[in-house]
Amino acid sequence: MTPSPKETLLNAAVLHWMHELAAQGIVTTDSELNIVGWNNWMEEQTGKHAHEVIGKNLLELFPELTERRLDRHYKWALEGQVRVLSQALHEYLLSMPVVSGEHVYPQMQQAVRISPLSRDGRVIGTLTIIEDVTERVAREAELQAQVEARTRLLASEKLARSEAERANRLKDEFLATISHELRNPLNAILGWAHMLRTGKLNEANTDRAVETIYRNAQSQTQLVSDLLDVSRIISGKLRLDVRTVDLIYIVNAAIDSIRPAADAKGIQLQTMLDPAVGPISGDADRLQQIVWNLLTNAVKFTPKEGKIQIKVQRVDSHVEIVVSDSGVGISKEFLPYVFDRFRQADASTTRIHGGLGLGLSIVRQLVDLHGGSVSVESEGEGKGATFTITLPFVGVINNQKEAESVSPAHGDEAVTFDGLPSLQGIKVLVVDDEADTRELISEVLKECGSEVILSRSVAEALEALEQHRPDILISDLGMPDEDGYSLISKIRSLPPERGGQIPAAALTAYARAEDRMRVLRSGFQFHLPKPVDSAELVTVVASLAGRAYKS
Amino acid sequence: MKLTERQTDALAELINIAFARTGAALSELTGHRVLLSPPEVAVYRTEELRPALAKFVPGDIASIHQVFGGPVAGDALLLLNYAGAVQLTDLLTDEEQPSVFLDESAREVLTEVGNILLNACLGMFGNLLNVHVTFSVPRLHLETLDELIDSTTSDKTEMHYALVVYTAFQVRDSSVKGFLVIVLSVGSLDRLIQEVDAWEAQQGK
Repeated sequence: MTPSPKETLLNAAVLHWMHELAAQGIVTTDSELNIVGWNNWMEEQTGKHAHEVIGKNLLELFPELTERRLDRHYKWALEGQVRVLSQALHEYLLSMPVVSGEHVYPQMQQAVRISPLSRDGRVIGTLTIIEDVTERVAREAELQAQVEARTRLLASEKLARSEAERANRLKDEFLATISHELRNPLNAILGWAHMLRTGKLNEANTDRAVETIYRNAQSQTQLVSDLLDVSRIISGKLRLDVRTVDLIYIVNAAIDSIRPAADAKGIQLQTMLDPAVGPISGDADRLQQIVWNLLTNAVKFTPKEGKIQIKVQRVDSHVEIVVSDSGVGISKEFLPYVFDRFRQADASTTRIHGGLGLGLSIVRQLVDLHGGSVSVESEGEGKGATFTITLPFVGVINNQKEAESVSPAHGDEAVTFDGLPSLQGIKVLVVDDEADTRELISEVLKECGSEVILSRSVAEALEALEQHRPDILISDLGMPDEDGYSLISKIRSLPPERGGQIPAAALTAYARAEDRMRVLRSGFQFHLPKPVDSAELVTVVASLAGRAYKS
Repeated sequence: MKLTERQTDALAELINIAFARTGAALSELTGHRVLLSPPEVAVYRTEELRPALAKFVPGDIASIHQVFGGPVAGDALLLLNYAGAVQLTDLLTDEEQPSVFLDESAREVLTEVGNILLNACLGMFGNLLNVHVTFSVPRLHLETLDELIDSTTSDKTEMHYALVVYTAFQVRDSSVKGFLVIVLSVGSLDRLIQEVDAWEAQQGK
């Protein structure tokens, strides 16, 4: 039967499209799988020309089809089935290079249809259509990655939010703790001060009142000092005053200062201090603070008749300070958070142990600043805890003298005027806007025989300087209107005969190295930290006046 | 038309053979053990198909549709609900993160899976009836149940029946439910049942 002109035309169109125009690979075989058609696209992608492949057997020409068990699809096609080969499960039918683009695929990714060609209900061959889906697959993978990234981002945002909420809650708890802790000593101070004012206390009770007020003020000073340390650490303003220091001396000083508290609870202090440790590099005050914090902590959490062991030893190139106690221990859950700020294992209002939960956080920060590390171990609740501090042993030039000279002062010693130099005949000008501080300094100085002139402001001080010609100036820094820096710069601009070179000391609250430098640069010879220690005050005044200690 | 219990059992057994082949083919293809749970077979009139399937597929359905012809002719479909379709492709292609939608690649995978399953079942029927069955190219559709049933090729003037086979793909500790639906003319179904009876009688010997 000859085809109609229309059929002829359509056949020609189909053949033309198939060979020349199609954007897919089209391979036709007979029922023996011998290649009959191989279009332009196949020539371009495989580099094999139609005349090279036509007449050859598909499975012989491409043995990989049999190796990859894809020949079955041709067998099924010859049985009349249409087969679909997806890219995701097969990647490709015939290996061809990737045309372009920055894809990770070594082969062109293909989607394939293999169909039987039938005539009169009999299969006479197969038709294979290969589509290049590399671009599409790459795009889909990218999209999938974006979706995953977004999901991850969402999850991490959620985590960050809950973390922020947790931090906020911690801060709230901390604020509640802080007001509680600051108010506690205040209650005692106010209560006993009130009773003192009534003047009805007998001598024994007066002593007790003063003792209680003193102790509570001390403990509040410590709280405020901790808070300031934390804020300095947070703002990165804490600087170490690094010198050669004698660690054993520092540890002993810290032990001495907590011994009364330990004795009161009947806690046994065991020390194993290896004298071979020698001098190390560090900030003496800060190192003592570290040891003091650990020891205070140990005393706080160790029950009566317990035991605390302090060990200092040299291990290879570092020095270890180990503080272990037989105290309440730390639960496994809390162990990772021991050094976190504002964290206390028990945040309830009825908690047994006071404090702000800042001590150990400060310890870690200070140890970090020293280039060391701190770790904690505990077998669990009720089984005690062991803190280990590791400090690098920096080879210092052995200068034992210097090491001793910068050992920290004993801040907790009772006030005593024995052995202090006499200030007889020395005229001191005291400038402070706070009456209490003025009175305190005045009393202490008068006790040692000095004459005291008091001023409440810079203007008053300049007048007094003119009028009384004092020998020494003690001035507060923070005052309303004009501050101590302004005062000293005005005085230093005066000629010597009008007091321009008067020796001066500044009163500074919590002065650290950087504050001290500013004080000294501005024209003061000394700085006195607040709260003022009586013995230190007298010593400084004597030193400024050129008086030596009484031997 | 109602099938007897024996006929239903025999049909289920025959389809189970095709399912075993499908499971083996998918296992080899994906490198995971893929099992198809034993088929449960029921016959409905096409009008009854809607209420029968509505409960299983309330939303969009992914269907792989192949038309077959020859002495027995009709429509063969694999139905999965949308979430099941997404899950099945993820399981078969080792996707770590659960996908949200069916992209082109996932649709191809479903088409291939449906193609394997439908070919196995219809090929088995062809062998049983000793007739040559021809297939159209499989197509994947995403549509509602109503749109799907309206799209079957069956001549609406003739009475048609649907052979509904319930199964589940079991891959890597997960199970994805699916339905195989074969819509046949009453004549084609009659022939099939006769052959099933004959096969069943032969097995009994």
